[in-house]
Amino acid sequence: MATMKFLCDTKRCIECNGCVTACKNENDSALEWGIQRRRVVTINDGEKGEASISVACMHCSDAPCMAVCPANCFYKTEDGIVLHDKDTCIGCGYCLYACPFGAPQFPQGGAFGARGKMDKCTFCAGGPEENHSDAERQKYGANRVAEGKLPMCAELCATKSLLAGDAEIVSAIFRERVAYRGSKNAIWG
Amino acid sequence: MNKWFKQIGIAIALLFSVTAFAHDGAEHTHDGQATEGQIWSQLKAGAEGRTTSTSEFHAQPINTYDLRVLELRSDILAPALMAALFGMIIIFVLFIKVNGISKLHGGFSGKLVYRWSKFDVSIHWLGAIPCLLLILTGLTLLAGRFFFQPYIGEGLWSNLVYAAKQVHDIMAIPFMIGWALMTVLWAKNQLPKMYDIKWMMVVGGYINFGPFKGKHPDAGFANAGEKLWFWAFAVFGLVISASGMLLLFPNLFEPSRTLSLIALILHSVSAIIITAFSIVHIFMATVMSEGGMECMVSGYCDETWASQHHNLWFDEIKENGTLKYKE
Ligand code: HEM
Ligand code: SF4
Ligand code: SF4
Repeated sequence: MATMKFLCDTKRCIECNGCVTACKNENDSALEWGIQRRRVVTINDGEKGEASISVACMHCSDAPCMAVCPANCFYKTEDGIVLHDKDTCIGCGYCLYACPFGAPQFPQGGAFGARGKMDKCTFCAGGPEENHSDAERQKYGANRVAEGKLPMCAELCATKSLLAGDAEIVSAIFRERVAYRGSKNAIWG
Repeated sequence: MNKWFKQIGIAIALLFSVTAFAHDGAEHTHDGQATEGQIWSQLKAGAEGRTTSTSEFHAQPINTYDLRVLELRSDILAPALMAALFGMIIIFVLFIKVNGISKLHGGFSGKLVYRWSKFDVSIHWLGAIPCLLLILTGLTLLAGRFFFQPYIGEGLWSNLVYAAKQVHDIMAIPFMIGWALMTVLWAKNQLPKMYDIKWMMVVGGYINFGPFKGKHPDAGFANAGEKLWFWAFAVFGLVISASGMLLLFPNLFEPSRTLSLIALILHSVSAIIITAFSIVHIFMATVMSEGGMECMVSGYCDETWASQHHNLWFDEIKENGTLKYKE
């Protein structure tokens, strides 16, 4: 059984925001105004040591969001993808506090700033509704995994900085890159 | 616990390569480029950057905190709140079965003594009814998924937890008003006195066996037990209200994620203490102390009750002429 992961190679990311756009487009049906499931963050922008990284839900192995949710609405697919049921979500915000990656987001605009149903990256794997149903599209967006495809963000990454797929394969690719890139004096192993 | 760190660690490590690759000194920085190790350590330290996203906290790729708070909540606080509610009820029922209640000696006199104003009675219920609902809904939020969800259907569960959140959010407001009024207006009668120590030593005279039997310690307007409850309610009511405000109005206070988690923990700890005290308080008022409930119904108490449970207060109002009977 695969364990799906994202990996962003900061040495390749050129901050083009292609992944962000790809995600927005692919999951548009489910995204309320102001929500973007994936983001690119550039640290030391314009300075020495500038680096960019594309961040979304990392589909953690022992997910903090899952542990903290009072409604217990998260579940893990057999591919290790962390999904949640919007019908059960009560919009308490606990998952946002607990997530190390700031992945959970909420539609704004309730009375007194009350949060709506949480939204986050689904690894393009839809949600608890029937695959490719209208309900799934409206609440969760695309379900590419059911079609045997990988998330749109990684598929469209021009530099192949953002990788998605089985953890072992993804990290093997990355290890190979690091070895190849390694400076002359680099000793590793 | 270590599992948490390891798993998250793996996720993060996957992001930025394994640190083993980043041999400091062996890896060179060309043209101001940072090494993977340097980038990774900056991100791990919570570095913020520039992003096009306007969502909350999105400028920071990684937020770290002590992941033990998650287990603290699920493994300690949730069962503790269950124990504070159901455990205390069981203990009290057993205690009353063995010990019996505190009867009024000589029965009710039928003469009712003025004790609380109508306003006092109303602020009591303004705080108390929301408090009970907050306990039950808070329990559902903290412990429901472990103790209730496995035994009920999925549809019922999602309705229950949704209702719990809505009721909790609304009841918080009258609770805080009631709490503030009670704390401020009643404090002067709740200051500790020397005779409170003796009251504590004999557990208020409520124990009907052994060396405690038949004791009637001195008590003023409030006895030592009530004072303890009052001050616990004042302090933890403040903590629960302050932490609750952070959680209820994040847009107003903009707490950091870590502060929100700390508020959640403080909120639950206060809830456990308030719940345990509340159960004792309710048992004392309704079953343990015969005639006690009348105080918060009409504001009057039976004369026998006053002299038996609050002798110093009763003597005082008799002396200074503030004693008022119900017509
Ligand atoms: C007797 C008083 C109260 C009790 C016993 C109580 C209990 C609880 C408990 C046990 C939780 C769950 C904590 C967790 O999941 O870790 C909770 C959550 C919460 N409480 Fe309270 N609480 C009380 C008063 C208040 C007040 C005064 C406020 C607001 C000012 C408040 C606001 C909240 C909020 C916002 C949450 C998060 C869930 C939600 O959004 O509904 N609570 N409470
Ligand atoms: S939402 Fe956050 S905590 Fe949950 S799986 Fe995704 S990255 Fe991990
Ligand atoms: S906001 Fe929704 S998904 Fe997040 S912890 Fe609360 S109930 Fe669970």
